[in-house]
Amino acid sequence: MTRRCTTCREEDVLAWVLGDPDADAAPELAERMAACPACRERAVEYGLLHLSAESLRDGPAIRWRRFGSPFGAMRIAAGTGGLVALSWQDESDDAFVAGLERRYPSTPVVCDTDRLVAAEEQLTEYFGRRRPRFDLLVDLTELGDFQRAVLDAASGLDFGETVTYTEIARRIGRPKASRAVGNALGRNPIPIIVPCHRVVRADRTLGGYTGGLRYKRTLLDIEGRTDLLRPPAIR
Amino acid sequence: MTTGTESAHRVRSWSERYGPELQRHVAAMLGSADEARDIVQDLWVTALRARPERVDGANIRAWLYRVATRRALDHLSARRRRSDLLAAHSDELEPGPLPPADAALGRLSEAAAARVREGVAELPRRQRDAVWLRWIEQLDYPTIARRMDVSPEAARANVYHGMKKLRRDLAEVWREEGPI
Repeated sequence: MTRRCTTCREEDVLAWVLGDPDADAAPELAERMAACPACRERAVEYGLLHLSAESLRDGPAIRWRRFGSPFGAMRIAAGTGGLVALSWQDESDDAFVAGLERRYPSTPVVCDTDRLVAAEEQLTEYFGRRRPRFDLLVDLTELGDFQRAVLDAASGLDFGETVTYTEIARRIGRPKASRAVGNALGRNPIPIIVPCHRVVRADRTLGGYTGGLRYKRTLLDIEGRTDLLRPPAIR
Repeated sequence: MTTGTESAHRVRSWSERYGPELQRHVAAMLGSADEARDIVQDLWVTALRARPERVDGANIRAWLYRVATRRALDHLSARRRRSDLLAAHSDELEPGPLPPADAALGRLSEAAAARVREGVAELPRRQRDAVWLRWIEQLDYPTIARRMDVSPEAARANVYHGMKKLRRDLAEVWREEGPI
Protein backbone atom coordinates (compact mmCIF):
# COMPACT_ATOMS: atom_id res chain seq x y z
CA MET A 1 0.00 0.00 0.00
CA THR A 2 1.33 3.40 -0.91
CA ARG A 3 1.11 5.93 1.83
CA ARG A 4 0.28 9.38 0.65
CA CYS A 5 1.39 12.61 2.13
CA THR A 6 -0.76 15.68 1.79
CA THR A 7 1.66 18.31 3.10
CA CYS A 8 4.93 17.73 1.28
CA ARG A 9 5.59 17.33 -2.40
CA GLU A 10 7.86 14.83 -4.08
CA GLU A 11 8.93 17.67 -6.41
CA ASP A 12 10.59 19.46 -3.50
CA VAL A 13 12.73 16.44 -2.64
CA LEU A 14 13.60 16.07 -6.30
CA ALA A 15 14.61 19.71 -6.64
CA TRP A 16 17.26 19.08 -3.96
CA VAL A 17 18.51 15.90 -5.52
CA LEU A 18 18.84 17.65 -8.88
CA GLY A 19 20.16 20.91 -7.50
CA ASP A 20 17.48 22.86 -9.34
CA PRO A 21 17.50 26.65 -9.17
CA ASP A 22 14.43 26.70 -6.91
CA ALA A 23 15.76 23.95 -4.64
CA ASP A 24 15.44 26.37 -1.75
CA ALA A 25 11.79 27.04 -2.46
CA ALA A 26 10.57 25.05 0.53
CA PRO A 27 13.01 25.76 3.37
CA GLU A 28 10.72 24.33 5.99
CA LEU A 29 10.32 21.08 4.09
CA ALA A 30 12.74 19.18 6.32
CA GLU A 31 10.64 19.99 9.35
CA ARG A 32 7.48 18.90 7.61
CA MET A 33 9.11 15.72 6.41
CA ALA A 34 10.31 14.92 9.90
CA ALA A 35 6.69 14.19 10.63
CA CYS A 36 6.13 12.21 7.45
CA PRO A 37 7.64 8.71 7.13
CA ALA A 38 6.44 8.27 3.55
CA CYS A 39 8.27 11.34 2.34
CA ARG A 40 11.40 10.35 4.21
CA GLU A 41 11.28 7.01 2.52
CA ARG A 42 11.18 8.81 -0.80
CA ALA A 43 14.11 10.95 0.18
CA VAL A 44 16.09 7.80 1.01
CA GLU A 45 15.17 6.27 -2.34
CA TYR A 46 16.31 9.38 -4.16
CA GLY A 47 19.45 9.26 -2.06
CA LEU A 48 20.14 5.74 -3.31
CA LEU A 49 19.48 6.80 -6.88
CA HIS A 50 21.82 9.71 -6.40
CA LEU A 51 24.66 7.42 -5.38
CA SER A 52 24.51 5.73 -8.78
CA ALA A 53 24.86 8.94 -10.81
CA GLU A 54 28.62 8.75 -11.13
CA SER A 55 28.62 5.07 -12.14
CA LEU A 56 26.05 5.87 -14.79
CA ARG A 57 28.10 8.77 -16.09
CA ASP A 58 31.20 6.56 -16.34
CA GLY A 59 29.35 3.54 -17.71
CA PRO A 60 27.94 2.57 -21.10
CA ALA A 61 25.42 4.73 -22.92
CA ILE A 62 24.49 5.10 -26.57
CA ARG A 63 24.44 8.70 -27.80
CA TRP A 64 22.63 9.68 -30.97
CA ARG A 65 22.49 12.83 -33.04
CA ARG A 66 20.44 14.12 -35.96
CA PHE A 67 21.76 16.69 -38.43
CA GLY A 68 20.91 18.03 -41.84
CA SER A 69 22.80 16.79 -44.89
CA PRO A 70 22.39 17.55 -48.60
CA PHE A 71 20.38 14.34 -48.72
CA GLY A 72 18.02 15.03 -45.85
CA ALA A 73 18.10 14.26 -42.14
CA MET A 74 20.97 12.05 -41.08
CA ARG A 75 21.16 10.19 -37.77
CA ILE A 76 24.24 8.73 -36.18
CA ALA A 77 24.82 6.88 -32.91
CA ALA A 78 27.86 5.85 -30.90
CA GLY A 79 28.68 3.94 -27.75
CA THR A 80 31.88 4.11 -25.77
CA GLY A 81 33.63 1.91 -28.36
CA GLY A 82 32.78 4.06 -31.37
CA LEU A 83 30.02 4.53 -33.93
CA VAL A 84 27.34 1.85 -33.99
CA ALA A 85 24.70 3.21 -36.37
CA LEU A 86 24.11 5.63 -39.21
CA SER A 87 20.83 6.22 -41.00
CA TRP A 88 20.28 8.62 -43.88
CA GLN A 89 17.08 7.19 -45.21
CA ASP A 90 13.60 8.36 -44.43
CA GLU A 91 13.05 7.50 -40.81
CA SER A 92 11.75 9.28 -37.73
CA ASP A 93 13.78 9.92 -34.58
CA ASP A 94 11.51 7.46 -32.82
CA ALA A 95 12.17 4.70 -35.34
CA PHE A 96 15.93 5.27 -35.23
CA VAL A 97 16.00 5.27 -31.42
CA ALA A 98 13.70 2.23 -31.24
CA GLY A 99 16.18 0.32 -33.43
CA LEU A 100 19.01 1.22 -31.04
CA GLU A 101 16.90 0.22 -28.03
CA ARG A 102 16.32 -3.20 -29.57
CA ARG A 103 20.04 -3.64 -30.18
CA TYR A 104 21.05 -2.40 -26.71
CA PRO A 105 18.19 -3.29 -24.36
CA SER A 106 19.88 -2.50 -21.04
CA THR A 107 21.90 0.54 -22.13
CA PRO A 108 20.40 4.04 -22.05
CA VAL A 109 20.01 5.50 -25.53
CA VAL A 110 20.16 9.28 -25.10
CA CYS A 111 20.41 12.36 -27.28
CA ASP A 112 23.92 13.63 -27.86
CA THR A 113 25.44 16.67 -26.28
CA ASP A 114 28.54 17.29 -28.38
CA ARG A 115 30.42 14.03 -28.61
CA LEU A 116 29.26 13.29 -32.13
CA VAL A 117 30.12 16.67 -33.59
CA ALA A 118 33.33 15.33 -35.14
CA ALA A 119 31.41 12.59 -36.94
CA GLU A 120 28.90 15.13 -38.22
CA GLU A 121 31.69 17.40 -39.50
CA GLN A 122 33.50 14.59 -41.26
CA LEU A 123 30.32 13.41 -42.96
CA THR A 124 29.54 16.96 -44.07
CA GLU A 125 33.05 17.24 -45.53
CA TYR A 126 32.62 13.91 -47.27
CA PHE A 127 29.38 15.04 -48.91
CA GLY A 128 31.20 18.17 -50.06
CA ARG A 129 33.96 15.97 -51.55
CA ARG A 130 36.43 17.46 -49.12
CA ARG A 131 37.09 14.29 -47.15
CA PRO A 132 38.17 11.08 -48.86
CA ARG A 133 38.77 9.22 -45.60
CA PHE A 134 36.96 9.08 -42.26
CA ASP A 135 38.96 9.28 -39.09
CA LEU A 136 36.36 7.80 -36.76
CA LEU A 137 36.16 4.76 -34.50
CA VAL A 138 33.51 2.22 -35.39
CA ASP A 139 32.30 -0.52 -33.08
CA LEU A 140 31.31 -3.72 -34.88
CA THR A 141 31.86 -6.03 -31.91
CA GLU A 142 28.22 -7.01 -31.48
CA LEU A 143 28.03 -8.43 -35.02
CA GLY A 144 28.66 -12.04 -36.00
CA ASP A 145 32.14 -13.10 -37.13
CA PHE A 146 31.19 -13.43 -40.79
CA GLN A 147 29.50 -10.05 -41.07
CA ARG A 148 32.31 -8.37 -39.18
CA ALA A 149 34.88 -9.91 -41.54
CA VAL A 150 32.89 -8.65 -44.54
CA LEU A 151 32.54 -5.14 -43.15
CA ASP A 152 36.21 -5.04 -42.14
CA ALA A 153 37.14 -5.98 -45.71
CA ALA A 154 34.85 -3.24 -47.08
CA SER A 155 36.42 -0.76 -44.68
CA GLY A 156 39.74 -1.34 -46.42
CA LEU A 157 38.42 0.14 -49.70
CA ASP A 158 39.53 3.64 -50.60
CA PHE A 159 37.50 6.63 -51.76
CA GLY A 160 36.33 5.93 -55.30
CA GLU A 161 37.67 2.36 -55.34
CA THR A 162 35.23 -0.43 -56.10
CA VAL A 163 35.56 -4.21 -55.93
CA THR A 164 33.11 -7.04 -56.63
CA TYR A 165 31.13 -9.10 -54.14
CA THR A 166 33.20 -12.09 -55.24
CA GLU A 167 36.42 -10.22 -54.50
CA ILE A 168 35.28 -9.48 -50.93
CA ALA A 169 34.33 -13.15 -50.55
CA ARG A 170 37.81 -14.11 -51.72
CA ARG A 171 39.50 -11.62 -49.39
CA ILE A 172 37.79 -13.06 -46.32
CA GLY A 173 38.67 -16.60 -47.34
CA ARG A 174 35.13 -17.64 -48.33
CA PRO A 175 35.34 -17.51 -52.15
CA LYS A 176 31.98 -19.18 -52.70
CA ALA A 177 30.06 -16.94 -50.32
CA SER A 178 29.51 -13.90 -52.55
CA ARG A 179 25.73 -14.00 -52.03
CA ALA A 180 26.21 -14.12 -48.25
CA VAL A 181 28.65 -11.22 -48.62
CA GLY A 182 25.86 -9.26 -50.32
CA ASN A 183 23.51 -10.00 -47.43
CA ALA A 184 26.10 -9.04 -44.83
CA LEU A 185 26.75 -5.73 -46.61
CA GLY A 186 23.01 -5.14 -46.86
CA ARG A 187 22.78 -5.28 -43.07
CA ASN A 188 25.67 -2.85 -42.56
CA PRO A 189 24.65 -0.78 -39.50
CA ILE A 190 27.06 2.08 -40.36
CA PRO A 191 26.74 2.74 -44.11
CA ILE A 192 28.88 5.44 -45.77
CA ILE A 193 31.50 5.27 -43.01
CA VAL A 194 31.83 1.52 -43.52
CA PRO A 195 31.75 1.90 -47.29
CA CYS A 196 29.62 -1.03 -48.40
CA HIS A 197 28.64 1.08 -51.43
CA ARG A 198 32.09 0.42 -52.90
CA VAL A 199 31.17 -3.21 -53.51
CA VAL A 200 29.51 -3.70 -56.91
CA ARG A 201 28.80 -6.45 -59.42
CA ALA A 202 31.27 -7.94 -61.83
CA ASP A 203 29.29 -6.61 -64.84
CA ARG A 204 29.80 -3.01 -63.56
CA THR A 205 26.19 -2.65 -62.52
CA LEU A 206 25.71 -1.55 -58.96
CA GLY A 207 24.25 -4.66 -57.37
CA GLY A 208 22.06 -3.92 -54.37
CA TYR A 209 21.71 -1.35 -51.64
CA THR A 210 19.47 -1.28 -48.60
CA GLY A 211 16.88 1.45 -49.02
CA GLY A 212 17.40 1.70 -52.77
CA LEU A 213 20.10 1.93 -55.39
CA ARG A 214 19.73 5.71 -55.69
CA TYR A 215 21.57 5.97 -52.36
CA LYS A 216 24.45 3.87 -53.64
CA ARG A 217 24.46 5.87 -56.87
CA THR A 218 24.66 9.13 -54.88
CA LEU A 219 27.69 7.99 -52.90
CA LEU A 220 29.55 6.68 -55.93
CA ASP A 221 28.82 9.95 -57.75
CA ILE A 222 30.34 11.86 -54.81
CA GLU A 223 33.40 9.69 -55.23
CA GLY A 224 33.59 10.48 -58.93
CA ARG A 225 32.57 7.03 -60.17
CA THR A 226 30.20 8.21 -62.87
CA ASP A 227 31.61 5.49 -65.14
CA LEU A 228 29.58 2.81 -63.45
CA LEU A 229 26.36 1.78 -65.12
CA ARG A 230 23.20 3.52 -63.99
CA PRO A 231 20.76 1.34 -62.11
CA PRO A 232 18.04 -0.04 -64.36
CA ALA A 233 14.93 2.12 -64.49
CA ILE A 234 12.07 1.09 -62.28
CA ARG A 235 9.17 -0.16 -64.37
CA MET B 1 50.62 21.34 -3.07
CA THR B 2 47.78 22.81 -1.10
CA THR B 3 48.36 24.39 2.28
CA GLY B 4 46.12 23.79 5.24
CA THR B 5 44.90 27.36 5.15
CA GLU B 6 43.92 27.09 1.52
CA SER B 7 41.87 23.93 2.12
CA ALA B 8 40.22 25.49 5.13
CA HIS B 9 39.29 28.49 3.05
CA ARG B 10 37.96 26.34 0.26
CA VAL B 11 35.92 24.13 2.56
CA ARG B 12 34.47 27.18 4.26
CA SER B 13 33.28 28.52 0.94
CA TRP B 14 31.66 25.17 0.15
CA SER B 15 29.93 25.09 3.49
CA GLU B 16 28.53 28.55 2.93
CA ARG B 17 27.40 27.71 -0.55
CA TYR B 18 26.13 24.14 -0.14
CA GLY B 19 25.66 23.74 3.62
CA PRO B 20 21.99 24.73 3.85
CA GLU B 21 20.78 22.53 1.00
CA LEU B 22 22.89 19.56 2.14
CA GLN B 23 21.51 19.87 5.60
CA ARG B 24 17.96 19.83 4.30
CA HIS B 25 18.75 16.89 2.03
CA VAL B 26 20.08 14.86 4.95
CA ALA B 27 17.32 16.04 7.28
CA ALA B 28 14.75 14.90 4.77
CA MET B 29 16.30 11.44 4.73
CA LEU B 30 16.65 11.18 8.49
CA GLY B 31 13.64 13.12 9.62
CA SER B 32 15.78 14.94 12.13
CA ALA B 33 17.36 18.38 11.71
CA ASP B 34 19.72 17.80 14.66
CA GLU B 35 21.14 14.57 13.35
CA ALA B 36 21.46 16.15 9.93
CA ARG B 37 23.47 19.02 11.39
CA ASP B 38 25.91 16.54 12.96
CA ILE B 39 26.34 14.65 9.71
CA VAL B 40 26.92 17.77 7.64
CA GLN B 41 29.41 19.14 10.19
CA ASP B 42 31.26 15.87 9.95
CA LEU B 43 31.19 16.17 6.18
CA TRP B 44 33.27 19.37 6.31
CA VAL B 45 35.85 17.58 8.42
CA THR B 46 35.98 14.84 5.78
CA ALA B 47 36.31 17.43 3.03
CA LEU B 48 39.20 19.07 4.87
CA ARG B 49 41.04 15.79 5.13
CA ALA B 50 40.26 14.52 1.66
CA ARG B 51 42.94 14.63 -0.98
CA PRO B 52 42.36 17.72 -3.10
CA GLU B 53 42.34 15.82 -6.41
CA ARG B 54 39.44 13.78 -5.12
CA VAL B 55 37.21 16.71 -4.29
CA ASP B 56 38.37 19.48 -6.59
CA GLY B 57 36.74 20.48 -9.81
CA ALA B 58 33.33 21.42 -11.07
CA ASN B 59 31.59 18.46 -9.50
CA ILE B 60 32.12 19.36 -5.89
CA ARG B 61 28.41 19.61 -5.25
CA ALA B 62 27.86 16.07 -6.53
CA TRP B 63 30.73 14.80 -4.41
CA LEU B 64 29.35 16.45 -1.29
CA TYR B 65 25.90 15.05 -2.00
CA ARG B 66 27.23 11.56 -2.46
CA VAL B 67 29.21 11.57 0.74
CA ALA B 68 26.35 13.16 2.68
CA THR B 69 23.87 10.67 1.26
CA ARG B 70 26.13 7.77 2.09
CA ARG B 71 26.55 9.02 5.65
CA ALA B 72 22.81 9.47 6.02
CA LEU B 73 22.16 5.94 4.79
CA ASP B 74 24.76 4.53 7.18
CA HIS B 75 23.13 6.49 9.93
CA LEU B 76 19.74 5.02 9.04
CA SER B 77 21.14 1.48 9.08
CA ALA B 78 22.73 2.06 12.45
CA ARG B 79 19.52 3.50 13.73
CA ARG B 80 17.63 0.43 12.56
CA ARG B 81 20.02 -1.86 14.35
CA ARG B 82 19.26 -0.22 17.67
CA SER B 83 15.68 0.38 16.86
CA ASP B 84 13.49 -1.06 19.58
CA LEU B 85 12.27 2.45 19.76
CA LEU B 86 11.43 2.61 16.06
CA ALA B 87 9.83 -0.82 16.04
CA ALA B 88 7.18 0.59 18.36
CA HIS B 89 6.07 2.92 15.56
CA SER B 90 4.77 0.64 12.87
CA ASP B 91 4.49 3.37 10.27
CA GLU B 92 8.09 4.45 10.70
CA LEU B 93 10.54 3.85 7.89
CA GLU B 94 10.42 0.24 6.78
CA PRO B 95 13.66 -1.50 7.70
CA GLY B 96 14.18 -2.64 4.11
CA PRO B 97 17.68 -3.69 3.09
CA LEU B 98 19.86 -1.08 1.41
CA PRO B 99 21.98 -1.73 -1.65
CA PRO B 100 25.64 -1.99 -0.72
CA ALA B 101 27.81 0.99 -1.47
CA ASP B 102 31.45 1.79 -1.58
CA ALA B 103 31.56 4.03 1.43
CA ALA B 104 34.84 5.67 0.50
CA LEU B 105 33.63 6.72 -2.93
CA GLY B 106 30.06 7.24 -1.87
CA ARG B 107 28.64 5.30 -4.77
CA LEU B 108 26.48 2.23 -5.28
CA SER B 109 27.96 -1.17 -6.09
CA GLU B 110 28.34 -1.88 -9.81
CA ALA B 111 25.50 -4.40 -9.74
CA ALA B 112 23.17 -1.91 -8.08
CA ALA B 113 24.23 0.83 -10.47
CA ALA B 114 23.63 -1.51 -13.42
CA ARG B 115 20.07 -1.91 -12.19
CA VAL B 116 19.63 1.85 -12.14
CA ARG B 117 21.12 2.06 -15.64
CA GLU B 118 18.56 -0.46 -16.88
CA GLY B 119 15.83 1.58 -15.24
CA VAL B 120 17.01 4.66 -17.14
CA ALA B 121 17.18 2.64 -20.38
CA GLU B 122 13.54 1.67 -19.93
CA LEU B 123 12.20 5.19 -19.48
CA PRO B 124 10.19 6.71 -22.36
CA ARG B 125 12.54 8.44 -24.80
CA ARG B 126 11.88 12.09 -23.89
CA GLN B 127 12.03 11.39 -20.16
CA ARG B 128 15.21 9.39 -20.59
CA ASP B 129 16.90 12.20 -22.53
CA ALA B 130 15.83 14.80 -20.00
CA VAL B 131 16.81 12.72 -16.96
CA TRP B 132 20.19 11.92 -18.45
CA LEU B 133 21.04 15.48 -19.39
CA ARG B 134 19.90 16.95 -16.09
CA TRP B 135 20.71 14.32 -13.52
CA ILE B 136 23.74 12.60 -15.02
CA GLU B 137 25.32 15.37 -17.08
CA GLN B 138 24.09 18.22 -14.87
CA LEU B 139 23.27 20.56 -17.74
CA ASP B 140 20.92 23.46 -17.04
CA TYR B 141 17.34 23.55 -18.29
CA PRO B 142 17.83 26.09 -21.11
CA THR B 143 20.64 23.90 -22.52
CA ILE B 144 18.58 20.73 -22.16
CA ALA B 145 15.63 22.44 -23.82
CA ARG B 146 17.79 23.34 -26.83
CA ARG B 147 19.11 19.79 -27.10
CA MET B 148 15.65 18.32 -26.93
CA ASP B 149 14.02 20.99 -29.04
CA VAL B 150 11.37 21.73 -26.41
CA SER B 151 10.66 24.56 -23.94
CA PRO B 152 12.60 24.65 -20.65
CA GLU B 153 9.31 23.97 -18.85
CA ALA B 154 8.69 20.87 -20.92
CA ALA B 155 12.29 19.75 -20.37
CA ARG B 156 11.86 20.10 -16.65
CA ALA B 157 8.52 18.30 -16.65
CA ASN B 158 10.19 15.43 -18.49
CA VAL B 159 13.01 15.30 -15.92
CA TYR B 160 10.54 15.19 -13.04
CA HIS B 161 8.26 12.58 -14.58
CA GLY B 162 11.25 10.43 -15.45
CA MET B 163 12.89 10.72 -12.04
CA LYS B 164 9.63 9.84 -10.29
CA LYS B 165 9.10 6.83 -12.49
CA LEU B 166 12.68 5.72 -11.93
CA ARG B 167 12.29 6.05 -8.17
CA ARG B 168 9.02 4.09 -8.16
CA ASP B 169 10.38 1.29 -10.33
CA LEU B 170 13.63 0.95 -8.43
CA ALA B 171 12.01 1.18 -5.00
CA GLU B 172 9.94 -1.82 -6.06
CA VAL B 173 13.03 -3.74 -7.13
CA TRP B 174 14.85 -2.85 -3.92
CA ARG B 175 11.88 -3.93 -1.82
CA GLU B 176 11.45 -7.22 -3.67
CA GLU B 177 15.04 -8.25 -4.18
CA GLY B 178 16.86 -6.57 -1.37
CA PRO B 179 20.58 -5.85 -1.67
CA ILE B 180 22.03 -6.79 -5.00
